[in-house]
Amino acid sequence: MSTKLRIFMTGVGGQGTLTATTLLARAALSAGLPVTSGEIHGMAQRGGVVESTLLIGCKSPKIGLGEADILLGFEPLETLRALPYLKPGGLVLSSSETLPPLSVATGKESAPSVDEIRAKVTARCASACFLPVRSLGVQAGAVQSGNIALLGALCALNVLPFGKEVIAATIRATMKPKVAEINLKALDLGAACPA
Amino acid sequence: MANPLLAGTPGETHLLLGNEAIVRGAIEAGIQFVTCYPGTPSSEVPDTFFRLSPEGSYTFEYSVNEKVALEVAGGATLAGALCLTTMKHVGVNVAADPLLTLTYVGSPGGLVLLSADDPGCHSSQNEQDNRIYARLAGMPCFEPSCAQEAKDMTRAALTLSRELGAPTLLRTTTRVNHLRGPVTLAEPTVLPKPAGFQKNPSRFVPIPAFARPMHLRQLERLETLRERAETSPFNVVSGAGKVGVIASGISRAYLADALDESGLGGAVKVLDLGFTYPLPEKLIAGFMQGLETLLVIEELEPVLETEIRALAQRLGLSLAILGKTPGPLPRFGEFDTALVQKALRTALGLPEPEAPACACGTDPQVPLANRPPNLCAGCPHRATYLAVRTIYGDNAVYSSDIGCYTLGILPPLKAADFLVCMGSSISAGSGVSKASGQQVVGFIGDSTFFHSGITGLVNAVFNRHDILLVILDNRTTAMTGHQPNPGVDKTNLGNNPVRVDIEPLVRGIGITQIRKVNPLNQKATLAAIEELKAMSGVRVLIAEEPCPLFARRAYGQKRNQVAYVAGDCAQAGAEGTCGDCLNTLACPAFYVEDGKMAIDPLLCSGCMLCLQVCKNIKARKGDAK
Repeated sequence: MSTKLRIFMTGVGGQGTLTATTLLARAALSAGLPVTSGEIHGMAQRGGVVESTLLIGCKSPKIGLGEADILLGFEPLETLRALPYLKPGGLVLSSSETLPPLSVATGKESAPSVDEIRAKVTARCASACFLPVRSLGVQAGAVQSGNIALLGALCALNVLPFGKEVIAATIRATMKPKVAEINLKALDLGAACPA
Repeated sequence: MANPLLAGTPGETHLLLGNEAIVRGAIEAGIQFVTCYPGTPSSEVPDTFFRLSPEGSYTFEYSVNEKVALEVAGGATLAGALCLTTMKHVGVNVAADPLLTLTYVGSPGGLVLLSADDPGCHSSQNEQDNRIYARLAGMPCFEPSCAQEAKDMTRAALTLSRELGAPTLLRTTTRVNHLRGPVTLAEPTVLPKPAGFQKNPSRFVPIPAFARPMHLRQLERLETLRERAETSPFNVVSGAGKVGVIASGISRAYLADALDESGLGGAVKVLDLGFTYPLPEKLIAGFMQGLETLLVIEELEPVLETEIRALAQRLGLSLAILGKTPGPLPRFGEFDTALVQKALRTALGLPEPEAPACACGTDPQVPLANRPPNLCAGCPHRATYLAVRTIYGDNAVYSSDIGCYTLGILPPLKAADFLVCMGSSISAGSGVSKASGQQVVGFIGDSTFFHSGITGLVNAVFNRHDILLVILDNRTTAMTGHQPNPGVDKTNLGNNPVRVDIEPLVRGIGITQIRKVNPLNQKATLAAIEELKAMSGVRVLIAEEPCPLFARRAYGQKRNQVAYVAGDCAQAGAEGTCGDCLNTLACPAFYVEDGKMAIDPLLCSGCMLCLQVCKNIKARKGDAK
């Protein structure tokens, strides 16, 4: 049982949540681990929520409530929404930059501020790390590469059964050189954050 | 770089999406002919075949609808080709007519129907269980639970279908289509060219005199298939004990994890069923011997459970059978590991596990603002809906259809009052207006119009219905990932040289009250709708403007202006003031900052619809998204 690891990922359609999931799954497979990942999309590309999973040592591609060891949130409100999937003592890595739902952006509904989200999340998990994912992406050369920065931060916490170099190798093996360069930079920028 | 799905070396292991694994399985079986109608969660299967088609040694088509897809493949298999037809679960309803007779006629070249079911309605209007079609049509059924099995069962199903001439169902669910897992490749089979159609009317023409013996042959074939299921490597017994579990499809993955995690692995006997129909009765009879309790784990309908109950009754076995009649498992939605573990404990007479603790503890989760999917910034459907709503308001019944434009249901557009299925906007809309005399405006997209809208429109003409039909022609099948349809002039692989033009088609069936507009031109669109509103009978508005996501990719469309709020929109949000577009348009690029409306230049697509609505919005130079 100790070899099982469940990572729940959540974000907004168009953010690249699934790209990050696939990259992480490929890296796990290249490290020789029994990996399954899952994704729910469909109407998601129209700005809805995109949820995906990565499980090591499990047959199921699904993560139930209270089962995730790690929660990766590519958008803070979605991090908070997905918190019930995290098990007690779990770990949260999240973007600190909001992409508000239309109803919030247009003032029809309110949403908790990033500080409120951070406080709620931090109070309820063993360890939480918030980083400016979109800014790091822009710094690396493309806003979409911000997701890879979040993976970089995850590597720096030493909770994965493989290291940053495995993800770096997977990026090199699966992306075009130009895109790979940006993503490798994002990976490093993210990895420097948790310290 | 050669794609591993086509050129992967046997023995290599790749991380594949369930749907990609199905493609590889078909290629390993020697697939020659693929037809489909796209639909989530099946779409990556045909889209992958389409993308690889320039290098693949198979014929591929996006058919006009599922019935046509299955008929084309039905003909191809009669001509000796190994065929795969793919669709989502509700598509099988459309294809049911050919399906239920194709299993009489048979599939000399081999034919597998992929039905991608959607328990939980992730992207569908219902959660019907298409394993029942296997029973209704008399066809074998395979249910994979992981990526490797998705490949292996596709190959096995195709090979079996060709060997026995039996059209075969490959039934997946959303979780299987959209999981990723390691898949070890095997050596592809190379098949001879299709032998061609061999005339044999008594075998292939189901006139009543021939249909009766065809049915008998189909029933005999099912018994042969049952023998195959008895010894299939996809049906595996493991473990031991007085409590048995039979599971199929993705439930097998949840069961494996539940057994592993609860430590109950040694305490129960398990039958994993992958080749699920015809039911391997001898195998199950042997499995049930000595059991006191049997738990059947399958999502949706109690299909296996009912058949196993009948078998146990026939064998005079008195074991307790648990499942979903009445419980402990539900007859709706998806399962998960915790739910399966709970059912296992019930079967074992153990106390219920503690409710899964989550990080949020017992605090009630404050309801958070939802993030529903929305029409994209620059979506031409928004412009059409705005114009129709401006003229009709709530004084028309809006008959919707299936596509991105169903999202028009959301306020403020509220342009979907009812919906049944693909193509129903016209026919069901006709029914509403005929029965009630109410004004009806129907909305249908281009792909859905070709799929099954045309027949309803012909019916409306013939039966003199009174309906305004708006054809939302965005030049692609946007919802499912920009697949081509007969009306497109561009596909992801280049030009379509044989475009079927909607306007002359509509004229050709006798409709004269037609207007065609670009909905991004609000003035012209409003004028056209006013004119059509003043008429009666069947009227058609064609609102043509490409999906901006598709236009950027396929047409290389670039817009060099974005909108911004120039005036003082201090009253943002107040109805009837400037800033009202915030309430009427719901464009995702709009936001409110310090009480003032603003437009995010990074999200603005440059469609300039809002400029036509509010005098305070202006254009400026900028790269629109």
